[in-house]
Amino acid sequence: MLAAHGVSLRYDGVIQAVDRIDFQVEKGGLVALLGPNGAGKSTLLKAIAGLLPFEQGELVEGQLTFEGRSLAGVHPAAIARRGIALVQEGRQCFRSLSIEENLRAASLVARKGAGARLAMVFEYFPVLKEMRHRAAGHLSGGQLQMLVIGMALMSAPRLLLLDEPSLGLSPAMVQTVFDVVERMHRELGVTLVVAEQTVPRLLKLATDVYVLARGHIVMHTPPARADQETLQRVYLS
Amino acid sequence: MLLLQIATAGIATGSVYALIAIGIVLIYKCSGVVNFGQGGYAMLGAYAAYALARAGLSPPLAAAGAVLVLGVVGALTELLVLRRMLRAPVVAVMMVTLGLLILFRAVCLAVWGPDQIAFPQIFPQGAVQIAGIFITYNYVAAALLSLVLSLAFLAFYRFTPMGLMQRAAADNSRAALAVGIHVSNQVSVAWAVSSALAGLGGVLLATLNGLSLTLSNIGLVAFPVIVLGGLTSLMGSLVAGLLLGMLEAFTDGLLTPALESFLRAHTSIYSVGALQQVVPYMLVGGMLLVRPQGIFGQRGTERV
Repeated sequence: MLAAHGVSLRYDGVIQAVDRIDFQVEKGGLVALLGPNGAGKSTLLKAIAGLLPFEQGELVEGQLTFEGRSLAGVHPAAIARRGIALVQEGRQCFRSLSIEENLRAASLVARKGAGARLAMVFEYFPVLKEMRHRAAGHLSGGQLQMLVIGMALMSAPRLLLLDEPSLGLSPAMVQTVFDVVERMHRELGVTLVVAEQTVPRLLKLATDVYVLARGHIVMHTPPARADQETLQRVYLS
Repeated sequence: MLLLQIATAGIATGSVYALIAIGIVLIYKCSGVVNFGQGGYAMLGAYAAYALARAGLSPPLAAAGAVLVLGVVGALTELLVLRRMLRAPVVAVMMVTLGLLILFRAVCLAVWGPDQIAFPQIFPQGAVQIAGIFITYNYVAAALLSLVLSLAFLAFYRFTPMGLMQRAAADNSRAALAVGIHVSNQVSVAWAVSSALAGLGGVLLATLNGLSLTLSNIGLVAFPVIVLGGLTSLMGSLVAGLLLGMLEAFTDGLLTPALESFLRAHTSIYSVGALQQVVPYMLVGGMLLVRPQGIFGQRGTERV
């Protein structure tokens, strides 16, 4: 579904964030993209979503394709229309707009069936339904994370990229988030890429594991072989 | 009776101020740029209506045509000038808008000359009689058209998918891009709408005061309106526009005559000059001291 061949990504023309990596996502898969801070996970996800040029970044070599068509130089709005949604780090949403307006704004790329998807998001996250008319700026960190995942679902994605969804959340909230990740994968058939530093739960759900460190893929393995010990060795090397 | 007469004039000019100010706020909200050239677009709108009427269109059609032309001019400004400056500091962009104002004035001066021109009669001549006073159709039309259009625009911004895209792009451009909203196109739309509103404001103002290059000064009056209303509030612009229009009218119609007759009786001062041009700035000065965020603006807060 998604394929990166020899992809290098750079910021400001000089800072090499990702160096000639190969990365594959099969349709229906749930790929865990693991790696420490600064490994290049966010950069890779932004490149897929087309956001890199807006942060002075660029794809300098290699092929990045989604369903056989190149993603290089495509505007993020067009990429969203092709069915890729990215939940960015920092829980990016529209703080002055109400929760329902946030969700509706995210469905403007795929207006067909938006009403049904809104009902589904409210079923996934009942707390958002309760607070639907409140400004998103008033939400707590965990509620914001639910909102941004809900927003991603509103665009009816076939490939959903989550960038460190558990960052800064309480353990209970992390459980809730991964419950939803599991449901989206199982019930909606969404293909997922989840970037995290370490979450044991993610390794249980994943169908494939990539480990990224200092811009290189240092490990590609089935999840059964990605035990904590191996990961720690990779992280520390 | 006099009070009613003054109030009508105040509402008419005030709602035109609101039209112009709403356009500035719209652009500021989604791009952070304050358009110092807004008065230039108003002036251009009036001259465009004049030119179209001269070319043979009926005056109301010429006015509508001018509004469309200005919408195109606004979109082209964004596409040809501002989009090339995406990475430039916001202050540089604002200086460019000031440059555009100078350019527009120079073009109008070269084409139509410096003299006041009789503006075509867009609305029927004559007046309505309300409670014993006569109000010309020009004033009635200016007030109604700009009020109705301002409110229609606010409703559009609040309740339609296109308005939602505008608000989303204005709130957080990173998030808007990620959910597939083409932010740059939204900025183009904002420029088109803003310039069209300014063009209409210019046409209405020309029907009230005649057509000349001084029409572009309306851009300067718009700034007290925006500061008063809160830089980011469209509703604030509407309310503050009406407020300032009334204030100017009452200063001109009541305060200045009263002050002058008092001064003439007791001192050798004969005139206090165009006091109504000073009052808005005095009000803004006071406002900035008491409530810097404006009537409807929100105090800037940052999470630390």
